[in-house]
Amino acid sequence: MFFENIDFSALELPQAARKLRDDVRAFLQQELAAGSYTPHLGHAEFDSAFTKKVAARGWIGLTWPKQYGGQERSYLERFVVTEEMLAFAAPCAAHWFGDRQTGPSLLRYGSEFLKQKYLPGITRGEIAFALGMSEPGSGSDLASVRTRAEKVAGGWRVTGQKVWTSWAHKADAFFVLCRTAPLTDDRHAGLSQLVIDIKTSPGVTVRPIRFMSGEHHFNEVFLDNVFVPDSHVVGEVGQGWKQITSELALERSGPERFMTTFPLLVELIRRLGKSDDARAQEMVGRLTARLWTLRRMSLAIALALDPSSGKQGAVDLGTEAALVKDMGTFYEREIVDAARLLVALEPTLDADDTFERFLAQCVVNAPVSTIRGGTTQVLRTLIARRLLGALK
Amino acid sequence: MTDTIDTRRMLTDVATRLFADHVTPKMLDVAKHEGWSLALWDELAKAELPWVGVPEAAGGAGGTLSDVAAVLRVAARHAAPVPLAETYLAGWLLASANLDVPRAPLTMAAADAEISAVKNGAAWRISGVFKRVPFARAAKQLVLLAEGQVFAVDMATCGITPGRNLASEARDDVMLDGVTALATGPTLVTCEALHARGALLRAVQIGGALEHALDLACEHAKIRTQFGRRLAQFQAIQQEIARAGGEVAAAVAAALSATGVVERLADHQDVQSAQQLLMAVASAKIRAPDAAREAAAIAHQVHGAIGVTDEYALHHVTLRALAWREEFGNEVYWSMALGRAMLAGGADDYWPALSAA
Repeated sequence: MFFENIDFSALELPQAARKLRDDVRAFLQQELAAGSYTPHLGHAEFDSAFTKKVAARGWIGLTWPKQYGGQERSYLERFVVTEEMLAFAAPCAAHWFGDRQTGPSLLRYGSEFLKQKYLPGITRGEIAFALGMSEPGSGSDLASVRTRAEKVAGGWRVTGQKVWTSWAHKADAFFVLCRTAPLTDDRHAGLSQLVIDIKTSPGVTVRPIRFMSGEHHFNEVFLDNVFVPDSHVVGEVGQGWKQITSELALERSGPERFMTTFPLLVELIRRLGKSDDARAQEMVGRLTARLWTLRRMSLAIALALDPSSGKQGAVDLGTEAALVKDMGTFYEREIVDAARLLVALEPTLDADDTFERFLAQCVVNAPVSTIRGGTTQVLRTLIARRLLGALK
Repeated sequence: MTDTIDTRRMLTDVATRLFADHVTPKMLDVAKHEGWSLALWDELAKAELPWVGVPEAAGGAGGTLSDVAAVLRVAARHAAPVPLAETYLAGWLLASANLDVPRAPLTMAAADAEISAVKNGAAWRISGVFKRVPFARAAKQLVLLAEGQVFAVDMATCGITPGRNLASEARDDVMLDGVTALATGPTLVTCEALHARGALLRAVQIGGALEHALDLACEHAKIRTQFGRRLAQFQAIQQEIARAGGEVAAAVAAALSATGVVERLADHQDVQSAQQLLMAVASAKIRAPDAAREAAAIAHQVHGAIGVTDEYALHHVTLRALAWREEFGNEVYWSMALGRAMLAGGADDYWPALSAA
């Protein structure tokens, strides 16, 4: 049914991953103690100085080949680094997209030129990426993007508009999903991924879209006849859809799908102290059990997708990943609800108290996680297709 | 690791064939009245399935706790009305006390304060009442755990008041009136450990039962037509089926993962291992019952009125999953135990504890 060929009872983190966890945790505790960043929940902050410190320790592009600045370590070790960053609400935005999405895409599909141009820079914390996917008319239905690339000598001329582009106002480059051939009956054909240098390409305009809290991390990006050289096409022209969807299993099942409100749970426990309140005990127990379970599922996927497992390619865990995201994003809200219900207060975004501030940030950001990266409803349609077969 | 997976897959295949061949609608119907099925038990005994997980030295078939879980998962998918989990638990207790494990259906209970065990020469005489002992009427022996001792008692010497759970599985009250124990031996297994292992196995069984409930719901949705379309074509139905799928996957993942933790750490005495064991077992016995509530409801909803009849198979698995929630501690019991432990550990130890394995 699900997780065929996965042996949950043998699931354990290897020693190397545990050692790495200790190192990452010690680093983050030091950073926190030194006040080098203020934890923020809901979205990761963009902090180039912090990212450079992480890069200096070799924790960006951890699984990548050494020739591109990586460490050739396992997916489980990467999993552990991600978990620690989330548990301590570290400001990872400056390396998040490069490390998690565009880097792996370039490794898999990119030309040698693109790999050399971007990967070592990502691992050094010098190149920040953003993702140009959604458009005003294309949210869940990503294949309907209308940004167009016209073939010209030596490259492409790209015109269109991207929205919800997180941190585009600080990023150096972004992946742009666009149409390189006219729409046909096969709507997934004719899409391509291009890399555009945001800061240096004439015709790129970035404007803020304010989040409902007033914060600025989203943007809309206008592309007006932007020239993109042929060398900046990722993989094959026309294969953009396949490239995007093949990466989804790992992206949808990572700890970031169920841990973005986790620091609130820790602060809740701090508030509750050694409470003998039965409600508190029951809620904390249940939240722990649900997290423990999600983590096992997420770990199982990371382990199976690791090249060293020998299973990579042999198992398709796309649906399982969708399950983890669906349940994980709801789990994040369960933490927020429990915190609200157990501690009566009126949370404010600028509170000095960490618990109060986290709670406010989580309430305001709660709608986002079940939307980004595939809405609940899209994911459930995908899961149902697996269970019920092709539905016509 | 590959070897153990392959062995377990083989075991699963063998068990699946056995249950598919021998669990019939008629048998389940009869078992509803009798509380279990001797006919099925005899078939399983021929294949040695009831003694998987019991050490060969004690008279068992050998194998790991994960092997036991694999068998129980398949048995629960088929709603097999036999004391497999109980026989394993009783055999585990006997083996822990270096006592022989008889090749017969067994059950077990942990003694509370109401029980008296008096040494009379070399023999122990036991008196007391044990409530809702699973499959007591089916068992040849009742294996009791009290104060560091395991007692094997001949069920024929006990009084039995029949009872049943929501799925009509035998849950009998057993009365011992100065019954002489067949065998006795000291054990390191505590009442808490027995309770925890029972909870773990019930979680595994809930997972298996829910898998079949989901299968039935999917099959029904693909066949049943209303408003001129198959149910599976309605997005409202798809969304619910998907949600049930997540719940079932979570129940199975939690139960099997916890099985691995118990297998690795059960013999460890240190504080950290105890914490990991509690986290694993409690998570399984919280998550699986939570899943039972959601997935059983959805499976029934998808079936409409067809699913609530006596003759349709769905209730054999849904009622079992729902009834098993209450046995060996329900979600609230385990949530409070786990919550209490995590709160006692404090905020700064919370993430280290969760991420230790």
